[in-house]
Amino acid sequence: MIEQRLDCLGEACPVPLIKAKKKLSNMKSGEVLIIKVDHSCAMNNIPEWANKEGYHVNIKEVDLGLWEIYLIKTK
Amino acid sequence: MSIKDNVYYKTFLKEPWPYAVGAVLLGLLNISMLISTGDAWGVTSHFATWAAWIYQSIGGQPEAWLYFQEKGNAAELANGFLKDMQSLSDIGVIFGALLATLLASQFRVKKIKSWKQVAGAIIGGLLMGYGARLSFGCNIGTLFSGVASMSLHGWVYWVFIFIGAWIGGKILLRYLI
Repeated sequence: MIEQRLDCLGEACPVPLIKAKKKLSNMKSGEVLIIKVDHSCAMNNIPEWANKEGYHVNIKEVDLGLWEIYLIKTK
Repeated sequence: MSIKDNVYYKTFLKEPWPYAVGAVLLGLLNISMLISTGDAWGVTSHFATWAAWIYQSIGGQPEAWLYFQEKGNAAELANGFLKDMQSLSDIGVIFGALLATLLASQFRVKKIKSWKQVAGAIIGGLLMGYGARLSFGCNIGTLFSGVASMSLHGWVYWVFIFIGAWIGGKILLRYLI
C-alpha cells in the first residue's frame, strides 16, 4: 500500500484541511494519506469532510496533543 | 482502568464539547457577567486600556485622548486593573484555556512553521485590534453582546465581518498556503 505523509505541525485551522484536500486530489484510489497535526480542531473538520466524501478515516493520538490522521482514498 | 479510558473524563475533559453546548454556556455566562458587573461581556476594549496603562507607566498621558475622555473608558482607565472586572475576565479566559488544555493533556509548545506565518499573525493581529477599536468592539463585545442586547449594530457588524472573513480566506489560500 502506498503511503503519503503530510506534516501540518504548527499549522492552525483551516490550513490542515485545505492542505489535506489538495494533497488527496493528487493521489490515486487506494492510497493512504497520513496527516500529522497538533491543532485539535483538525480532529473535527478533517474527519467531517472525509466522511462526507466517503473516505475511510482513523485518528490516533501518538503523543500528548499530537495526532496522526489516517485517510484512505477509497475512490 | 486508567483515567484516560474513563468515559466521563473523555466526554467532559478530553473531547471537544458540541458547539450547541458551548453556545448555551456562553449565553448563560454572558447573563451572569451582565448581572455581576453591570456590563455585557467584551474582550478587546480592555486590551486598549491595558496598553494605555503601560503607556502611562512610561510617562504618557493617554487620558488626554478623545477615546479616554468618553465616560466609560475614562472610568476604566482611572480605576486600574484590579477594579476592572472585564480585564480580570480576560485573564480568566487565558487561564481557563490553559487549564482546559492541561486537563485534556494536550498542552504543547508549538513550533513556528515559517516567517510568513509570523508576519501573517502580527499583521493580522494589528489589523484586528485596529478594526475592533474603530467598530467599538470585537466579535465578542460588538457581535455577541450586541446581538444579545437586541441592538442593530451587532447584526451590521456580522454582515461586514462575514465579508472580511471571505476576503481573508481568499488571501489565505492565495498567499499563505
